[in-house]
Amino acid sequence: MPEYNKLNSGIAQKLCAVVGERRFQLGEQVKPDYSHDEMPIYGKFMPEAVCLPETTEEVAQIMRICSENKIPVTVRGTGTGLVGGCVPIYGGIVLSTEKMNKIISYDMNNMVVHIQPGVLLCDLAADALAHGLMYPPDPGEKTATVGGNVSTNAGGMRAVKYGVTRDYVLAMTVVLPSGEIMKLGKTVCKTSSGYSLLHLMVGSEGTLGIITELTLKLIPKPIKDVSLILPFKDIATAIASVPAIKLANLDPQSIEFMERDIVDSSAAFTGNAVFPTVVNGKEAGAYILVTLVGDSEAELTMKMDRLGEVAEQVGAYDVLVVWTDSLKKDVWAARSAFLTVIEAETRLLDEMDVVVPVDRIAEFLVYTHDEAVKQGVYVRSFGHAGDGNLHIYCCSNELEEDEFKRRVKALMDKCYAKCTEFEGQVSGEHSIGHAKKEYLRQSVGDTAYSLMGAIKNVFDPDGILNPGKVCHDI
Amino acid sequence: MLNILVCVKQVPDVNLVKMDPVTGSLIRQGVPAILNPLDANALEAAVRVKEQYGGTVTAITMGPDMAEEALRECLAAGADRAVLLSDRAFANADTLATSYVIVSAAKQLGDFDMIFCGKESLDGATGQMGSQLAERFDASQISSLSIITEVDLENKTVTGERELEKGVELAQATLPCLFTVEKTHYRPRIPNLKSWKASRTAQITRFSSKTIPGLDPEQIGDPGSPTKVPRTYPPQVGQAGQIIDEGSADKSIEKLLALVPELV
Repeated sequence: MPEYNKLNSGIAQKLCAVVGERRFQLGEQVKPDYSHDEMPIYGKFMPEAVCLPETTEEVAQIMRICSENKIPVTVRGTGTGLVGGCVPIYGGIVLSTEKMNKIISYDMNNMVVHIQPGVLLCDLAADALAHGLMYPPDPGEKTATVGGNVSTNAGGMRAVKYGVTRDYVLAMTVVLPSGEIMKLGKTVCKTSSGYSLLHLMVGSEGTLGIITELTLKLIPKPIKDVSLILPFKDIATAIASVPAIKLANLDPQSIEFMERDIVDSSAAFTGNAVFPTVVNGKEAGAYILVTLVGDSEAELTMKMDRLGEVAEQVGAYDVLVVWTDSLKKDVWAARSAFLTVIEAETRLLDEMDVVVPVDRIAEFLVYTHDEAVKQGVYVRSFGHAGDGNLHIYCCSNELEEDEFKRRVKALMDKCYAKCTEFEGQVSGEHSIGHAKKEYLRQSVGDTAYSLMGAIKNVFDPDGILNPGKVCHDI
Repeated sequence: MLNILVCVKQVPDVNLVKMDPVTGSLIRQGVPAILNPLDANALEAAVRVKEQYGGTVTAITMGPDMAEEALRECLAAGADRAVLLSDRAFANADTLATSYVIVSAAKQLGDFDMIFCGKESLDGATGQMGSQLAERFDASQISSLSIITEVDLENKTVTGERELEKGVELAQATLPCLFTVEKTHYRPRIPNLKSWKASRTAQITRFSSKTIPGLDPEQIGDPGSPTKVPRTYPPQVGQAGQIIDEGSADKSIEKLLALVPELV
């Protein structure tokens, strides 16, 4: 079991000397936001100090000091995580990448961008578009840092066509817990050159090393796109349509599902009632939102025709065409607001980010709803129907917190067991943090869990980097 | 059967427009053109009246060829017919000249019982077109309409609510009547695939200065526009503030106090 030291004034002075007074917070100066992420139900843990480095060399110096003194270091982007991944549960320092927010350069010939890890996803997306390129990963939380996205291997709405963040990371600079600087990967698309430490680093949640620079692959911006809303009677019929949509050879950029209650909440909260609730005289109970891309209007029209045929076969009430830019903005803003809406209307909140095979989504949601009713909590859900990644929020405004936690644990125990039974994954993109460790162990088994722990030990024998997370048991 | 006209305008998406700080002119290059948002509300009002009481909806606009896109959007969202008034001679028209051309062309299309406009356009935002058109159509007018509550086809009257600062006013007018529409109740619908597809290939009726009979060249375009704009300029923007964050309240206050003599 690692034994950590407290930050004494001597160590604090050394850290402060690295980043300077303006980028160093100590003790009471530390802002409370650094004690939690966006899921405060998992507890608040204040760091002893916060460092805001701007360069790889500063990160390396910080790590050398912390390594010598066995001070825990928890890396943090903008703190938009949902599993306590960036929360310093064993104290020590938070190393925030907020100031490492530069888009360094574009290599247009190779279609790559070099960035620092603290660049916000929304900023990278907009900047790439301004260069005529697209950064395909599109997680819902646009103010997350790209470094955070890499650390959680975030997926998002376009994963069904383009894959996840991992697929766009070509190279990175990493600072190891010892302070050693290491470059992983190259600006090429193929490699058959030993174990991929690069890919080990992706999704490792800041437990193996600190990412200080990233080289990301970009693609040409699609020429034309259209989103289509398919309203259905209920979630079961909506989800049942997804395999047919995928089989129609449309290569959709995204296939999202949403239930009526979250759409209603979003409309009431944002005043943006863009999803029609009554379609051709029928009440919609759920929606599928599909985005198609193509080189021309003619190509898109052909794809839309095919989708129209599928929609009729699978019982959609209609196919609504979101063609104009302003309408697209409204529709996707409503979709992106779901989590904010849930947070705003809920006093107690916990979440699951499971992935199940696409044809088991409806069954899993029905199971979850039924179990939630038994536990006296209510559920809001939406997610990526195209890849089976579900965001299920367990909510209560009535229960006491301890009682809520007890009931949600009982609910989640059952749901994660069902997810394992369905050959699913504990997390699609929100990761493990410290909140889902036990479910990870149950899902992957003791052998795999121990191997993960052994890998962690190789990189970080003193266990100072983001301790107590993913597979690190103390 | 009601004969309904909706007057629309294609405007630059002002959220994306920047102003040249030297010349004061709008930089429109690369800025997408959109259907004026309040005109989309007006169209929705018209289409709902049609669906409830029967009739046909004609969308009309004056603009360059690219304004066809705004008309196709109207066709997708329920208009039955679209009319584009396009001619270089119409260029630089103010609201007086524009309303003259629109009414002159509309007279070729029949007698309209109801005419809908958005309350104002996103770019010019004069809010003058509605009243000028009402005058030229010799129609009654309900401005700032929030919702139409009844159309009495027998007595040729219409009743609607106007949202005013101090409350809601119930207004009744005889047909023909022109409405300038608020966005409150008429969220534009999302077209379905069938109507969207039809809109992409629909025939659009076109008029030029030569095909509108009796058009007075002195009342169109630049010569017909008494409004002259001597200069446009961006509003003055205050100096950006400075955030003082020295890591602690005490240090920040100390820094602030040090800056005060420089500022006064």
